[in-house]
Order: sequence, then structure tokens, then C-alpha cells
Amino acid sequence: MVSIEIDGKQIKANDGAMVIEAADDAGISIPRFCYHKKLSVAANCRMCLVHVEKARKPLPACATPVTEGMKIFTRTPLALQAQKGVMEFLLINHPLDCPICDQGGECELQDVAMGYGSGLSRYCEGKRVVEDKNLGPLIATEMTRCIHCTRCVRFGEEIAGIKELGATGRGEHMKIGTYVEKTVDSELSGNVIDLCPVGALTSKPFRYRARAWEMRQADSIAPHDCVGSNIHIHTKGREVLRVVPRDNEAVNETWISDRDRFSYEGIHSADRVEKPRIKESGRWTEVSWEHALAFVGDKLKALPADKLGFVAGPSCTSEEYYLFQKLARALGTDNIDYRLRQLDISDQAQVAISQTLGQTIEEFEQNNAFLLVGSNLRKDQPILGHRLRKAGLRGASVSLINSMDHEFRFPVANKLLGGAGDLIRNLAGVTKELLAQNASYKRSKDLSDVLSGIEANDTHRSIAKALSSANKATVILGNQANYHPQSSTIRALAAAICELSGAKLSIVTDGGNSVGAQLMGVLPHRGPGGKKLSKTGLSFNEMLTTSIKGLVVMGAELDADTLTGSSALETAKHAEIVVSITPFSSAAIEKYAHVMLPVGTFAETSGTYINTEGRWQSFEGAVQPYAESRPAWKVLRVLGNVMKLDGFDYFSTEEVMDEIKEHVGHVELNNLFEWEAPAVTGLNGSNGLEMIGDVPIYSVDAIVRRAAALQGTTDAVSSCVYLNSNAASKQGLMDSDTVSVVHQSGSISMTVKLDNRVPDGCIFLPSGASTTDSLGAPFGSVKLDKLAGSINDQGAIGAANV
Amino acid sequence: MESVTRYVKSLFLWELLKGLGVTGRYLFARKITVQYPEEKTPLSNRFRGLHALRRYPNGEERCIACKLCEAVCPALAITIESEPRADGTRRTTRYDIDLFKCIYCGFCEESCPVDSIVETKEFEYTFEKRGENIMTKEMLLAMGDKYEEQLAADRLEDAPYR
Amino acid sequence: MAEIRNYTLNFGPQHPSAHGVLRLVLELDGEIVERADPHIGLLHRGTEKLAETKPFNQSIGYMDRLDYVSPMCSEQAYVLLIEKMLGIEAPIRAQYIRVMFAELTRILNHLLWIGAHAMDIGAMTMFFYSFREREDILDCYEAVSGARLHATYFRPGGVYRDLPQRMAQYKKSKWHNQREVNKWNENRQGTLLDFIEDFTNRFPRYVDEYETLLTENRIWKQRTVGIGVVSPERALQLGFTGAMLRGSGVEWDLRKKQPYDVYDQMKFEVPVGVNGDTYDRYIVRVEEMRQANVIVKQCVDWLKKNPGPVMVDDHKVAPPKRSEMKGDMESLIHHFKLFTEGYCIPEGEAYQAVEHPKGEFGLYMISDGANKPYRLKIRAPGFAHLYATDEMSRGHMLADVVSIIGTQDVVFGEIDR
Repeated sequence: MVSIEIDGKQIKANDGAMVIEAADDAGISIPRFCYHKKLSVAANCRMCLVHVEKARKPLPACATPVTEGMKIFTRTPLALQAQKGVMEFLLINHPLDCPICDQGGECELQDVAMGYGSGLSRYCEGKRVVEDKNLGPLIATEMTRCIHCTRCVRFGEEIAGIKELGATGRGEHMKIGTYVEKTVDSELSGNVIDLCPVGALTSKPFRYRARAWEMRQADSIAPHDCVGSNIHIHTKGREVLRVVPRDNEAVNETWISDRDRFSYEGIHSADRVEKPRIKESGRWTEVSWEHALAFVGDKLKALPADKLGFVAGPSCTSEEYYLFQKLARALGTDNIDYRLRQLDISDQAQVAISQTLGQTIEEFEQNNAFLLVGSNLRKDQPILGHRLRKAGLRGASVSLINSMDHEFRFPVANKLLGGAGDLIRNLAGVTKELLAQNASYKRSKDLSDVLSGIEANDTHRSIAKALSSANKATVILGNQANYHPQSSTIRALAAAICELSGAKLSIVTDGGNSVGAQLMGVLPHRGPGGKKLSKTGLSFNEMLTTSIKGLVVMGAELDADTLTGSSALETAKHAEIVVSITPFSSAAIEKYAHVMLPVGTFAETSGTYINTEGRWQSFEGAVQPYAESRPAWKVLRVLGNVMKLDGFDYFSTEEVMDEIKEHVGHVELNNLFEWEAPAVTGLNGSNGLEMIGDVPIYSVDAIVRRAAALQGTTDAVSSCVYLNSNAASKQGLMDSDTVSVVHQSGSISMTVKLDNRVPDGCIFLPSGASTTDSLGAPFGSVKLDKLAGSINDQGAIGAANV
Repeated sequence: MESVTRYVKSLFLWELLKGLGVTGRYLFARKITVQYPEEKTPLSNRFRGLHALRRYPNGEERCIACKLCEAVCPALAITIESEPRADGTRRTTRYDIDLFKCIYCGFCEESCPVDSIVETKEFEYTFEKRGENIMTKEMLLAMGDKYEEQLAADRLEDAPYR
Repeated sequence: MAEIRNYTLNFGPQHPSAHGVLRLVLELDGEIVERADPHIGLLHRGTEKLAETKPFNQSIGYMDRLDYVSPMCSEQAYVLLIEKMLGIEAPIRAQYIRVMFAELTRILNHLLWIGAHAMDIGAMTMFFYSFREREDILDCYEAVSGARLHATYFRPGGVYRDLPQRMAQYKKSKWHNQREVNKWNENRQGTLLDFIEDFTNRFPRYVDEYETLLTENRIWKQRTVGIGVVSPERALQLGFTGAMLRGSGVEWDLRKKQPYDVYDQMKFEVPVGVNGDTYDRYIVRVEEMRQANVIVKQCVDWLKKNPGPVMVDDHKVAPPKRSEMKGDMESLIHHFKLFTEGYCIPEGEAYQAVEHPKGEFGLYMISDGANKPYRLKIRAPGFAHLYATDEMSRGHMLADVVSIIGTQDVVFGEIDR
């Protein structure tokens, strides 16, 4: 610590801190454009010039380290004159755009010009004009307004890991542009909108909609991944107009992913259901809430309890989950599940009460070694991906066992790719190596089956070494590991690896609140807080194979939010009543459901999300629910009343939360569990092609799938068959060919797209879209039949319809 | 002596007669009555009456939906909704002025960077039905088209002062 | 013996002599007023609270609407208060303009008062004559601000626009031919200042006419002399200000005692009454009109000779000129920010009072450093005067209540705020 003096105020500052940091901590404001606390110091805007005692010139506060006894003045004539001069230069080339600029009213340039600039311009020559860039569907540009602070350039290099924006030229001729004119395709790209101090980079979907001063700000939590990024929702009237990050150093720092930022467009999609609807002899009619709820109550009560099924998506609030399971159990059934995309849950009795990151997000970043299994962390949980990248850049050893060669924008130590079988074999290889070094491991016998015939190779050895030698290591099971047809084996092996190497086990789950779902007991075998049940109900996968007569689906679309869409739809088809508690309608819902109860999205309800660290984050609704839709917790509460069930007399989510705390408050989260000896893997490499499925970043839930701008990005994967050029040439296929994809339960015709991230012998088919639901679970062998008439010309598209 | 004068004056209603003299003079003087509505008192070129939205001479509407008028309106009488027009320019989709709320302070005109929203010399208007108090964008533009010549001349004359 | 009870009478709020929305509950013993209980609040619009929710400049228009009979005087108090808190001073020409219009406003107010007061008492003609002169002053209002009543013309740092060089003129119609119209337009040939000068030359003659009609008139005297007498001590205790205080013989005028704007440059007399009755207050106000006319004359002379800026040259408070705003970046930013966010006033508090036609109109503001007041308190002179209704009318006849309300010159815009 050194003691300095700013404007006569005695301040203690950290060694090596810059003057501007010390001033910010002390609440003394120094104007700035290029300085940002999360980015490197560039010192190129010169706005933060301050007067330092004994310095002959004003010094930039952002690039002047503090020294003992330093005396700094921010408001002396010297400093003010310097700031005024810089401001004048900055405004020389700034266009007179304020009235049409979206930044107007929340513009740092305006604020600083008001606070520090002169009132009149002395410049009367012409202003320069810069050509605009096309930065894709999310970011609107007006490069003439740019003041060359280079925050966006530094963000690209340092945070997003892509040199997507760069500066060319000098002085008057300096321009910021996309590097080689490529579309900004980082999953965090939207943050440059917040970073840009002027209106050069603004939000495209929000363009010209509203001014900063007309909007109300509500605190909320992003619902699309298990990070639970803190957000502000900006609303005007009953409309959500934009989402911006809310600083929380422990969770999302100052960033949010594009998915969290732009998903709000889905809230106002044309698919929203206005009033409760009932299907009568194939035709949907709008009815009153009283009628709809009475109808649902009568139908459900008339059915035997064991023929009822309750299914929820992974992104509902904890209160909704709690009431959902309370309703199910009050009706006498334990057929309840939220695991719509997990194919293997055979170890459900053993696994932890709730699968979490196993550490806080800040601790996660501090690990020295990571083993990522079946995870596209960057796209699935972008904020965790950013934390991982920070660790990777710091020098942590990051190893991957993945099925696709996902790009991680930092040096990766080891990389093992392959299909579903290879994934397990590689994990087993690492286990075998660790076991070889630790012969006294008490459960080595349990592993002998699964490890027979496995030979550890150099990469396995290197991974094992990295994990066991690091003082803090983590094994991360990602979405694909959880979706894996033998994920119980993966979990057992991962747990064994953690026990052997001393690493922590992190299970990052899909959806915004799967931790909440587990804790609230939206599971067939556990009640709230992990309470053991006398008998185990049917899991989602089991419901699909038994005849369920009454199905209640909350916050999920059976076709797109499951991996086994076709069988889910089949089950629903045979049910007597399917109740869909959903904000949106879709062609599939209209087909399978009998009743639609419209509910609010995350922006329209209060509730609590529990993130992957186990952090409980409550929020209020930002806007009134659309039309006659109601918050889902209220719908469940009244449904309980209608069916004359006890204990459904809540007046607020806080009351529900109080009851939840009683049941769940005591639970300690711990991922490690008493795994059972894993079964021998039957997934030997198939002779033909193997299918890899994953849910692309912008297909994860109903809201995101309806967010127009996100669907226009390059990350919004189109429904194509992806395979690498090697495999394609083996199959005699070329880019844009149309093929028939033949899988377990069906076949569809799709266009081929070459993508070298797909390993040899595999094809990648994006899930989460209604087009692929008829194929069944996206694992196992698959056949591609080239369809006649598909050639590399414009006829190819037409042929796809044949 | 003074009291005698006062008594005499009082007895003969002197002060009342003097008063009647004043009124009598005006009775026979030329009338200054302005025969409204056929005849009107002169209106200053700064007059702040009913609002209008102006256009450029080429017919393009001036308003760029900057919303300064909405922000500065003390009575919150202006409601604007905006979005990009097909050609990508910033335009209003809704521009309503609630004449019940408006206090005719002229701040909207003062704030407008493109001289779009102005106050005309029109002051004779009534509402007969609920809802007529809302001036929509179409009505405002029509007002602008109707009075454009006068508006332009008035603004030109006042330009040196603003 | 039968019990005798006082008769309770509701006077207003829809009584023509109630000057707006006064509701007076009168307890009468026969025709003698035993108790008068004014009820207020029927015109409450929450001006103080409204001001807390908007940037400083946006409340100027609401000041007009307090005492809507003398709008610019309330505006003057508000802009002076903000100038005081910001530590700025308006250019000298703007100060002269403000004083000139404040005095025209005083005439405007007193003309309405004398017209209404006389009509309440029974002199109908006064109303016509005073409104004829008001018309000229309202034309000045309109010429300078564009509105005949709620001017919104004064701004912190000066006034919005300089005085116009041209007056609008009558046009001939089927009722009046060109010759007649030319006569009307005679005093409208020059600038606004010429028009005002012409008015000041004519005005003393008009006041003479009013006096001819009223001052010696026996009915007028019977209705005003000895009515609503307030002793100087009592007037001070009751918080009287303005003509109400001076009518009781206390020489107190903020324009002399705490000069603001350029009142210290003005030569004028402060009339003071002797008996403190309604008649004395009438005499004081009539003389105030003459004195106001003298001040306006001085301002006109000065303004004709001294052109100059009418707004401070500080774009952190005053928006730039439109031509600048359209041409340079700094000005555009300041224009944008001033019209959306406004300016911030440093933390602190201040009181500013002006000699309003009705008395001491004071504004007390606390700023917490934001772009809108933390609290704004309005000290309306009429409130203290109305408060004395009971004391002033006790023992008088019912008909005298009308003269007492008239002499108080109450306007409910400011009393109810």
C-alpha cells in the first residue's frame, strides 16, 4: 500500500495501481474514454489527464502508477485545460448525430463534453466520414462516430479471444473495422455495445426503439444457462426493450453472453399465447382461466395417479418447480422429471442431491488444471467459457475430451476427439493411467470391468499428470457428457478420476435452473431437498415407454427441448390429456397438447434461480405478463385450489420461497458420490458413421429459439448434416449435397455441410430443432444416402424437397 | 371654506357627475370593439397555439424521432414511438400530443433540432368527443402542410432571436 | 326563551365574488359576520411536488400558473432563485427586460384587481376599462413570448429571446375599414419598446380616469372606508406583505429593501397608507400602478439605448443559439443534454423572494446536487392574507366580506399551489 493524495484527500492505494483506479475507489471522478477496469490500459484517448505535483506536463491517470506521497489534482486549471483541449480534439471529427443516435442520453461523450468540454466549437472545417461495417445482426455500426478509444479492439483480443475488430491507419485516417471484414461471431460480442463510449457500436435489435430516459430498469437473472448472469431488463410500458449486464464480480463480472442479451426478442414473439386455449375435436378455442383450470383439474383428477406424468423444462424458477412437484405429489404421483435431454440416469439414486460446479465461479477460475469432458463450454455456458479462457491464458493446463473439435481461444494442452464411444474410452484411459500411479486405490476393483482392454496413451498420461500435479484441478462434465447415452459411466469415471487425482468434479448442467429443479425435487426418486421417497416414480425416459394418460408439461416443448423428440411426441399422442404450461404455442404443441395455459417468461414473473455454484438469486418481474398470461407459479397455485388440494394458499413467491427454505435450506452441495461400478461400455466404434448430437447455443430453449436476431447469427446452426471433408469424400459427398439421414427411428433428408471440427467417422446433427426430432436420440450409428439429383448448383435446394 | 366647497360638491353629486362625464365620453367615442370571429386581434409571430409537424420542401417529414420534445415536455403530453423505417432512417411510428395535458410552453419547439414540431397560430379548436384531444402524427403533419408558408415565414422572422 | 343560533352560510366556491374557488364558511348573526372560515385546496395542483420530478427549467411554466394574474413575477422569483443557487448572473439587458415585464405585470395584476374589486362592490364600468388596458399589456406578453398569459419567458441566466423589432398589426375587415385599422395600428408601427413607451405615455391618463370614477365616489367610499382595518402591528404579526402591509402604514418593499435584478437602478416611490382599511389599500395600489409605469418608462429608455445579450454565455446552463446548435458539435451536445437532462445545481439551499404584486412571493429550494430540486417550497403571499379573513371581517356586514376578499387580491392558483 502506498499513500497518495488526490484533490487534497488522503488515499491508500495498492502498489502498482494506476492513479485512475485509486481515484475510482475513492469516489473521485476522472473523465475517461479508453480506460476500462476489465481491459488493458491503452492510454490513447488522453481524456484522463491530471495534474501531478512536480510533473511538468499533465499525466494520463490511467497509465500513471501511484507512488508514495504522490499529489494529484484533477481540477486545477492545468488539468481542466488539458481535459478541455482533449475534448475539443475528440469532437472535431464527431458527426452531429446526437438526435438520431441511439446512444444519445447515455453517451459518455455527451456526458464528458457537458462536464469537461467547452460550450462552443472553434472548429469549422469539414468533418471526416468513415464507411460503415457490417457486423452482423446484433451490432449496428456508425463508424463515423468512433473516437478511437479502442475498447472494442481490446475487448476482442483480451476477452472474446478473437481479433474481430482492429484499428488501421493513424491519426485522421485511423479506422476501426472488422478484421478482414469478418462478422463478429463471438458469443460475447454484444458486450462491445456497452463498452463503446459513443454511438459507434449500438444494439441492432434495439435500434431506434427508445431513449435511455424513457425506460424502467429492473434487476433480473438470465435464464438461459446455469451461470445465472445478473442482468438489468430495460422496459417501456409492457415491453422489454433490451437487456444489459449488471455487475457482479462473483458471477458474470461485467459481461453477459449474447444469448442473455438478445434473447428478450423471443419474449415478444408472435407465438405468444394470449388466453388459455382448449382443443376440442381438433380445434383450438380460447377460454377463460376459470374454465381452463377447471377443465384441467377435472381431467387430471379423473385419471389414476400412476398414469399421470409431470414434465418440466430445465429453466423454470425454483418456486415453479416446487409448486409443480407439490402438485404432482398431492395428486399421488412421483412421475415427475425435468431431465428431458438426459438419456442415461441409471445412477440417479447415487448421484449428488444436486449436480453443481462444485466450487464458486471465482474459485473455478483459479484452477491450474482442467479436464473438459463432452463440453462446448464456450458456447454452452459462455461466461464459464470466459473464466476458463482467463485461466487458460494465465497458464492453466486445459485438456479436452470432446466429440467435436470446438474452438477454444487459448492454448489447449491436450485434445482428444471422437464419438460417444471414444469419449468413454479416452476417459477410461486417463483413469487407467491415474490408477497405475495409485495402486492402493480402494475402488480399483470396481473399475476393472470398464478398464479392461483400455490402454493409456501419451495424451492420457499427460492429462493424468496435469490433473494430479496441479494443486487445484477440476474435471468438468459438460452438456454432451450429461446427454451421453452412457453418462452414468462417464460420471463414475470422472468421479474416480477426481478421487484419484484430487481434482474437483464440476457438472455443468443445461438450462437456467437445473440445480433448482434437483433441489426442489422435480425428480421421480427424490423430494424437495433430496428427501428420500418410499417409492420411485417414472423418469421422463420411462414415461416415454409406458402409457401415460395425463401429461403436464411446464416450460418445455416436447419436440425441441428433448433429445428423443419423436418418442416424446408419440407418448403425448396417446395421452388422454396433455396440458402445456407455456408462454408460446408452436405447431408441435398445437398437435400434441389439449390445453395451453399461457404463462409469463422470466421477465414477467418473480422467482428464484439457483445457479451452478448453488447461488440463490431472486428477482422480480420486469413487466406485466403478456395479454392474459399469468406467472406460472400463480397458475400452479390456483390449479391446486381448483383441485381442492391442501397447502396451495400462497400470495407471493416469497411465501413459496419461505416454505422452500424450510425443506431445502439445509442441503449442502457436494458433487462427489458413491458411484457404482460402471457397466462395460457397449459403444464400440461403429463400422459406418457415428452420430454426434448437441444443442447449438441458440437452440437451447423456447425463448432463444424465437429471438430473431440471434437466429440470424453464424452461431445459429442451420439444420444441416455436418461432416469433415475426409468423411465426406469417403461417402462420396460434397458440400451442399442433399442426403437422407437414416437413424434409429426414421430418416430425413438434409443438406450436407463440410465442417472439419467433426472428427473422422462421425457426423454432427444439431438437436433442439423440430426438423431433427424424428431421428431419435442423436447417438449411435447412422447412414447417409445421397439423394439423386443433388448437385452443386442451385438446383440443390430445390432437390431437398423431393 | 374648504368644508363649504366639499359640502356643495357633495350636495350636487359633483364626484358622481364627474364619473358620469368619463363614462359619457366613452359612450360617444369611437368603439374599439373587435368583432370576433369575423375580425381578429393581431397575433405575434411567436404565438404558441396548436401544434404541427413540418416537412422539408421535398415532402420528407422533418421529425427524426430524437425524442427531445418528449423528454423536455413538462406535462408529459407527447408520446413518441420510433423504429427504423424501411430505408433505415430513424422515424416515428407514433407521435401523439395530448392537448388536455399540453401547457403550450413551447419547449418542444425550442428543443427540436430540426424545426419539426412547431406551434402554429391556430387557437380556435374544440373537442366534441372523447379521444379528440389526442393529436396524432397524421393530424400534426396535416396541420404542418396547411400552415407551412406561415410557419416558415414566422420562423424566418424570429430566427435572429433564437 | 327560544335559543338563537348563528346562521351558517356557505360562500362559494361557485360565488362570483369568491375570486375563483374560495369556499368561505360564514357564521352570521343576522347580517353581522361572527366568524369567517376560508376553505382552500380546491385548486391544488401539487406544483411543489411536480417540481421535484422534473429538471429545473421545466418548472418555469408551472410558476406562471401559480398566480396566473401576474405570471412573469413568479417566474422571476424562480429564475432568480436558480441563478442564486448556480452562482450566475443574467446579462444586464436581460435584467432590465425582466424588471420591465415585472412592472408591466404589476400593472396587469392591479388592473385585474381594480376591475374585479370595483365590480364586486358594484362599479361595473371599471371592469371594462381595466380590461382595455390589460389588452395592451397582454399584447406585449404575446409579442415577446408567444403567449398572452403563461409566458414561460424568463430563464435562469436571462430571458428566452430578445424583444421583437416588430409588432403584429390589425388587418382591415368588413367591420373596420383601412382608415380605422390604421388608427388602431398607429402605435404598432415601431418595435415592442415603442409600443410599450406609447402605453406608458397613455397609462397615467387612464389611471386618472379610474380615480375619477372611484376615489371620490361616495358609494365606493362607503363600501371601503373603515372596512377591514388592520393595524400595522397586527399586519406584521399576520405576515402581511405587499400592498396589504403598506396599506397599514408599514413601509416595506423588497424592491427597495432587498433589490434584485436592476431595481437598485430604478427611481420610484413606495406609497404607504395611513388607516389600514380597504380604501387605503386601494389608494396604495393605484399609486403602485403609477409608480410601476414610471419604472417601465425608465426601463424602456435604457433598453432602447443599450442593445446586448439577453442570456448568459454559459452553455452549461443556457442552451446555445439554434444556428450554433445546428452547426457545431459542442453546441449540439449541450443542446441535447440541456433539453433532456437539464443542468445540475450544486448541493445547498436558498430562499429568493420578490416583490410580487400581491406581496412577498418567496421560493425556498433545497438541492441535493441532482438535476431536479430535492424540495421546493412556495411562499404564496395570498395565503397569509386570506388567513386574516376571519379577523378582518369579524363584526362587519355580509356585504363587506366581498370588499375584504377583493382588497386581499387573492388568486387561488398561488394559495392552493
